[in-house]
Amino acid sequence: MSFGSLLSEYTTKPNIWDEMCLEGEIREHYKVFFETLSQISPAELARKDELAKKLFMSQGITFTVYSDGEGIEKIFPFDIIPRIITAAEWTHIEQGIKQRIKALNIFLRDIYHDQFIIKDGVIPASLIHTCPNFLREMVGVDVPFDIYTHISGIDLIRDSDGSFYVLEDNLRTPSGVSYMLENRSMTYRIFPGLLPKSSVRSVKDYPDLLLKNLLGLSNRQKSEPTVVLLTPGIFNSAYFEHTTLARLMGIELVEGRDLVVDNAKVYMKTTAGLKQVDVIYRRVDDEFIDPLIFNPNSILGVSGLYYAYRKGNVAIVNAPGNGVADDKAVYSFVPQMIKYYLNEEPILKTVPTYAMENQEHFQHVFSNITKMVIKKTNESGGYGMLMGHAVTEKEVSEYRKEVEKNPRHFIAQPIISLSSVPCFINNKIQPRHVDLRPFALNGPQGIEIVPGGLTRVALREGSLVVNSSQGGGSKDTWILG
Amino acid sequence: MLSRVADAVFWMARYMERTDNILRALRTNYIASQDEIQNFDWQIWVEGLGPDGYVSKSSPTYREALHHLLLNKENNTSLLVNVARARENARSVQDYITKEVWQCINDYYHLIRDPYTEQLLLANDPVTAFDNLLRESTLFYGTVDITMNRGEGYSFLNIGKYIERLLRSLDILELKIKELEKGGSEVTQWKYLLYSLSGYEFHTKYYRNVLSTENVIHQVILNMQFPHSALYCLSQANRYFKRLDVISVPEHFKEMEFLLGRAVSNLRYGGHEQKNVEQVKSLVLRTKIEIKELSQKLASLYFGYS
Repeated sequence: MSFGSLLSEYTTKPNIWDEMCLEGEIREHYKVFFETLSQISPAELARKDELAKKLFMSQGITFTVYSDGEGIEKIFPFDIIPRIITAAEWTHIEQGIKQRIKALNIFLRDIYHDQFIIKDGVIPASLIHTCPNFLREMVGVDVPFDIYTHISGIDLIRDSDGSFYVLEDNLRTPSGVSYMLENRSMTYRIFPGLLPKSSVRSVKDYPDLLLKNLLGLSNRQKSEPTVVLLTPGIFNSAYFEHTTLARLMGIELVEGRDLVVDNAKVYMKTTAGLKQVDVIYRRVDDEFIDPLIFNPNSILGVSGLYYAYRKGNVAIVNAPGNGVADDKAVYSFVPQMIKYYLNEEPILKTVPTYAMENQEHFQHVFSNITKMVIKKTNESGGYGMLMGHAVTEKEVSEYRKEVEKNPRHFIAQPIISLSSVPCFINNKIQPRHVDLRPFALNGPQGIEIVPGGLTRVALREGSLVVNSSQGGGSKDTWILG
Repeated sequence: MLSRVADAVFWMARYMERTDNILRALRTNYIASQDEIQNFDWQIWVEGLGPDGYVSKSSPTYREALHHLLLNKENNTSLLVNVARARENARSVQDYITKEVWQCINDYYHLIRDPYTEQLLLANDPVTAFDNLLRESTLFYGTVDITMNRGEGYSFLNIGKYIERLLRSLDILELKIKELEKGGSEVTQWKYLLYSLSGYEFHTKYYRNVLSTENVIHQVILNMQFPHSALYCLSQANRYFKRLDVISVPEHFKEMEFLLGRAVSNLRYGGHEQKNVEQVKSLVLRTKIEIKELSQKLASLYFGYS
């Protein structure tokens, strides 16, 4: 197949897994799409790109940046070329994630109850008790159906041989699922007819599956339990996602000030008086949900909520305290958890992780710093990390001092190069690095994963940082059926 | 529904209605200032539509006045600020209103902030800018009508809309009276008043004579066929309120029902004595006070969530 001028700028690099090209040939699963693409002129693609931006703006899929008291509307960058994953690859991912979520969920139940995993010497007690996200208040609390990880967004990357690695298990309040849905509806606006032709599996069931799980958690003997989505409010950068999910599920979107706790029951304030709430899907972090127990300055949460939760009068999704399981230092023990709890071999690989508390690791990391990335165990969003190949010596020595002060809060991993996919940038098709975040739903009837996810792109050439706060964008993700 | 949501829907409707009413009045004024009246007095309008007690620079030009009233971000009562507030309210209830209504307000917001709108107003033909904005506004009414469900929220939305329209009609009437007091032909001023309220054509059909003060007052205050008359607006607000009967706490409903019923009666039976400008001024004042009271009551009984 001739690439023509379309791919004149598409140069893949050695030691990087390109998802579209293999040794100058288009891979089988990209062929249908590429054929369509090669019939579209770059000028036409640029118009489609423009259309996508306009649609995002007019639908208000934006976040507001405030400067000089004036709000400026921004859209999250969207790349129009979909990323394609084969059915076989997806089956592997799906099995791997299900296994992982199952183990992590048992781990959370165990760590807040009997702690067998510590007693059996699989995980050191000190690792757990020095973890700032281990919530003492959750010890001994029974949660509905023993489910902690109702919604998780597992970040996957692909190494140079194409194999999938888990980079992070986001088990607290993972976001981005609305972009999975919106990016798909953008694709059928800009490439009409292409989705059915390519046999792409649908993602539209996500809200229904989530609602079914939320309804199932209610404790009251009632045909129509009240489920609400708790948002920090319109200034939160994920506010668009909160409204989208509430709308698609037909549940109330509430803020902390809409709720009140009376006699260990949670109520919302309506025009007709108080109405009891059974299930709260909260998008507010643990430390802000109840000022009486956690951060006393929080106005995002509800006083007394935690007490109502412990009494079993309201379900909170995800369960508080999940942070202990997606701590970056605890992450390296997930393969052991899978073996210990499930007696299975891990399906998905884990990136080798060096605990900086360990002197040998520490030395090893800093003598190979150009191949390493150092991360804070407790941060997300790409903040506070050091990419060893792209920094000066001075920055390294400053960071080293930081690490020495509090080694428990840092881990290091070898830099994984991340696979590349085609993107439409500056009117040309060029390769850029991506990761993949599928969303897993864990409910009373088991774990389900909608075939799709959020593909995040590092839009800068050569960059490996995909976080939206650091110059990343997103694209539609196709799982072929 | 959530009290906070009811409150936001109510205010979203009020800001949208306010913007629409003021746009129509300003469009008429602009055309008037270009056509018949020499030295149109924009100061009255800049001060009258500004925040209470606002003092304008003397004799602003029409471009200055339009910029101040429509696009000035520093002016707390400019239409740009109104639309931004309508959008903030809509945004906070984005899951409750339909996607179509949200997109409509969002588009409106982007249009009024578009540099092209400013260029039209300040350097080109302002009427085109008015018409573009009014089209968005009309689109909003239509979208609400064909997409929103007729539940509680729809009632609060309409109560907000009609209370706001009532207050705007009274405001515009007051400003016209102020202009009249400064001199000028009565017939011309009344004509522009009716144009501002989209009621001139109706007047010629309904009253079939030269504009008289008595008839104009009757139309603006009492005429039940005129959608901008004070009595029509109040009756509509009352009608939408009555639909809340089934969901309300009974005592709350009774209290509001009484206040609204009394206000309708005061206007209907008090309005018939108004034959001249002096009498109508005091009626306007009384009505405004009454509306303020009942809005406060509504807020504390139905939106009192904090």
